[in-house]
Amino acid sequence: MSHVLHDIEKQIIKLLQSTPNLTEEQLSQTTTLSMDQIRRGVEWLRQKDLANVTDTTNLSYGLGKNGLDALKNGLPERRLVNLVKDGPKTFDEIRSSLQGLDLNASIAHAKKNDWINIEKTDTGSKILLKGNVQHPSANPEEHVISVIGADPDGKCSLVGATSMSSINSLMERPDFIIKHEEKTKTVSLSETGKNIDLEKLDSEAIDVEADVPHVHAARIHPLKDTINEIRETFVHLGFTEINGNLSQSSFWNFDALFTPQDHPARELQDTFYLKGLNAKQLATPTQIKNVSNAHKKGWRYYWDIQEARKMVLRTHTTCVTIKHLADKKPDEARIFSLGRVFRNEKLSFKHLAEFNQVEGIVVGKHITLRDLMGIQKEFYRKIGLTKVKFWPTFFPYTEPSLQSMVYNEKLGKWIELFGMGIFRPEVTKPLGITKPVLAWGGGIERIAMLKFGLDDVREFYNNNLSWLRTATKCQ
Amino acid sequence: MPVVELSLSRLQKLIGKNTNKKQILDSLPFLGLDIESLGRNIVRVEYSPNRPDYSTDFGIALGLQGILGISKGMLRLNIRKKGNYEIKADSSTSKIRPFVTGIIARNGSLDDEAVKQIINMQEDLHFGLGRKRKKSSIGIHDLDRISFPLKYTTTSRDHRFVPLNSTKEISISEILRDSEVGRDYGSILGQSAKVPIITDAKGQTISFPPIINAALTTVTTKTKNILVEVTGIDKQSAEDMLSVVVTILQGAGFQFSQLKVSGSKNSTPNFAPRSIVFDTDPVNKILGLNISGSILVSCLKKCRLDASVKGKKIQCTIPRYRFDIFGGMDIVEEVALGYGIDNLKPAWPASVHIGEKNATSEKLDSISRLMTGFGFMETLNSTLTSEQILYEMTNRDSSQIISVTSSKSQEHTILRDSILPGLLENLSKNIHETYPQKFFESGIVFSKDSPIKETTSLACVTASEETNFSEIKAVLQSLLRIGFNIKCETKTLSKHTLFSQGRVAEIVANKKTVGYIGELDSKVLENFRIRTKVVGFEIKLSGLIFD
Repeated sequence: MSHVLHDIEKQIIKLLQSTPNLTEEQLSQTTTLSMDQIRRGVEWLRQKDLANVTDTTNLSYGLGKNGLDALKNGLPERRLVNLVKDGPKTFDEIRSSLQGLDLNASIAHAKKNDWINIEKTDTGSKILLKGNVQHPSANPEEHVISVIGADPDGKCSLVGATSMSSINSLMERPDFIIKHEEKTKTVSLSETGKNIDLEKLDSEAIDVEADVPHVHAARIHPLKDTINEIRETFVHLGFTEINGNLSQSSFWNFDALFTPQDHPARELQDTFYLKGLNAKQLATPTQIKNVSNAHKKGWRYYWDIQEARKMVLRTHTTCVTIKHLADKKPDEARIFSLGRVFRNEKLSFKHLAEFNQVEGIVVGKHITLRDLMGIQKEFYRKIGLTKVKFWPTFFPYTEPSLQSMVYNEKLGKWIELFGMGIFRPEVTKPLGITKPVLAWGGGIERIAMLKFGLDDVREFYNNNLSWLRTATKCQ
Repeated sequence: MPVVELSLSRLQKLIGKNTNKKQILDSLPFLGLDIESLGRNIVRVEYSPNRPDYSTDFGIALGLQGILGISKGMLRLNIRKKGNYEIKADSSTSKIRPFVTGIIARNGSLDDEAVKQIINMQEDLHFGLGRKRKKSSIGIHDLDRISFPLKYTTTSRDHRFVPLNSTKEISISEILRDSEVGRDYGSILGQSAKVPIITDAKGQTISFPPIINAALTTVTTKTKNILVEVTGIDKQSAEDMLSVVVTILQGAGFQFSQLKVSGSKNSTPNFAPRSIVFDTDPVNKILGLNISGSILVSCLKKCRLDASVKGKKIQCTIPRYRFDIFGGMDIVEEVALGYGIDNLKPAWPASVHIGEKNATSEKLDSISRLMTGFGFMETLNSTLTSEQILYEMTNRDSSQIISVTSSKSQEHTILRDSILPGLLENLSKNIHETYPQKFFESGIVFSKDSPIKETTSLACVTASEETNFSEIKAVLQSLLRIGFNIKCETKTLSKHTLFSQGRVAEIVANKKTVGYIGELDSKVLENFRIRTKVVGFEIKLSGLIFD
């Protein structure tokens, strides 16, 4: 069997053939490959059954703050014994000499070692050495401290049963012993690995099956992809794009669309008004007069031109299309407008304060509601949505009004997408538009959410690089 | 859109003819009612604000009967003229709330669910048609507690009576100050010393419109006979509102007697239907159909209107409560609904139109393609942003700030006048991702003018330890040369708050300053918690590559 090996793999095999067991660190040090490269190479070799990896955990011990102190000055119980070896002392005497030491712990450990007695006298309790012992010999714990302390790295791998019990008892005391656990991977070659003759490998061949790292493409924003696709689709359907400002007078955003000035949609809580800004030029005098009359006749109230001057952030793109129609009065037209619109909404997984909308307009003497349904069905087919149905709905400035429902296979349900309708004569007549105007459109983020499988619309504007780098483009 | 909660079993009873639940659920969308949620027996539907009659199951049952073909045509309304029910408006009301109207409904019965439905209707009418009670508002009373004739007049703010849901007599000032309805709607009455009030023949207060009724006439499930009064500042809207209430109460089984209204500019309401005569041709034409006059008539009847063929014309009779029907196009919609939207087959119109993208869109597309070619990732930010990002964190001059009123979100309070701060915010949110990071964004920026000017700009940033001024200048230079054959220069600039001193220049093209380029100031970067070097530029495209 011939092997195709990556250069990293070759270096590891070569080294292991001369030195059978090495840790990953050792491999890295000797080959001068990075740890990352070693880990990748070892993983490849393991998958090819050329190498084995054994995990081992090495235990070692070092001294903590109190341990280092004990190394220098002796364990607290030793210091206590040293104090009383020349004769019994009271607690107070000891306390003043044993500065900063935990007296209770010293006594407890000295008693446990059977070194001292406590004697009650008239002048209070005294501590004295037990029996005839003049100087208790070093116990195993003191031995452990000195052995660990003698290790130049401050680390020592102690073994042996006696040491273990002393280590454990010292571990129960605070800050004497620190335990280090080191996990290492030891790599060795399998039989096949050992037998590979590196000299005989085809040096030109490379491992074409090996994993490679990800590269990040710079790209158009995913939402922009959907916007561009929708723009292209409108153009394919024969629509010409028009643009307009995001800031608009209330006249074109509301009044020209027959929305009465006391309508709830015009309130601050739904619409963003621009603080202190009023439009100077609204429309032609005829347009203003006719719109004003339509409101007086239809809604029976005093129409206030000052109210119409208030600048708003457009709540729909219809203000752009209606102004275009009012100014150009085409007999036949297919136009569309696409861009940002604004609603004073609390942000949530399905609501944004600023989002994108598209709106198509068809003007024509012979155009019918069924035609508009057909255009829309074709639009959906082009962007990959094939199951479409229509329901009646209500929009303030169209009549009849329909909404389209699109079946989403992934979610297994019908989803409301674009709305459509024929502009009310109360809208078109005052602006001198005589032919029927059919409009259709809606929010773009909703479609993009379906395309990119998102359930939180805010994700589009988070500009989260990890998502931008990995979102699947063609869905 | 408003929502109403319906019980399917109750709807079945109201519709009759053993209608099953599936038929009901399948038909609701074709009345324009969106199913919001569905339980075992409870369905919540969204209805359109132009159809307040759909604010109750009584109204929806009426519509379903029509569309299912169970009961078609207009509901006849009989109003007995006999009886001594009368209300007289005093001229003092004309300054504050001039109009009053009403009706007597008898021999009905209201169970808990019916009361719930009627309260929903009342709230909907108050909010929509009544413009939060300002334009018109309703009071519903137990008729048997009232002595006629009634008087619609005004009184002072220290007038006292026992309001609804209370047992204590309190003054109008106290109601306005202490009760929730008083605080919510008191402003409708302004500072006026006199406020409107309805009293009966015994001098008892029965209502303080548009705020609250008296406890005396509280309607319960035991109530058999009721008085409905509507007051307002617009006579037609008050009568519109009353007509909806009458239709709903008719559905609930009540019979009606006239309430004579007089005084000031007031008169007894007229519930007579209207007639519209129209040609069949334009209706067929706009719908793309070719249906006969008799089918047209049957479509309209399914929508609970009356109609008859008159030669080539159709005469359509519209009940009083369908005031949403303005003219011909509204009739077209009724025909479409009666015909069934699912019976309208989409068609494909012959067209000679050739579509075209806007020139600005085309150029912005080119820029996006070039910028991604240079290795920059596109980001999208809101044009409505926050003062914190745009000015505070960047130390920029905020004297020309353009803000919106009453934003519900702190992140969206002012319009951006620059794109770069948003890109710094994007870098800030991605500090845990691998570097280098390169972002660009093109879009609208705003400035004060008369009243406001919108221009399109492009900004980009590169963040990495190794980046430098030359790298970003190279991008700028190549973008303008490859994309638009424009030569640009960078001229030393002594100071710019966003950039480091000595490492910032203004971009000059066609002898005009069109933007800034440089290494971002370390204090600004610190504010955004960015720890790498960042270079970038912002350039105005309007006036440079398009108008």
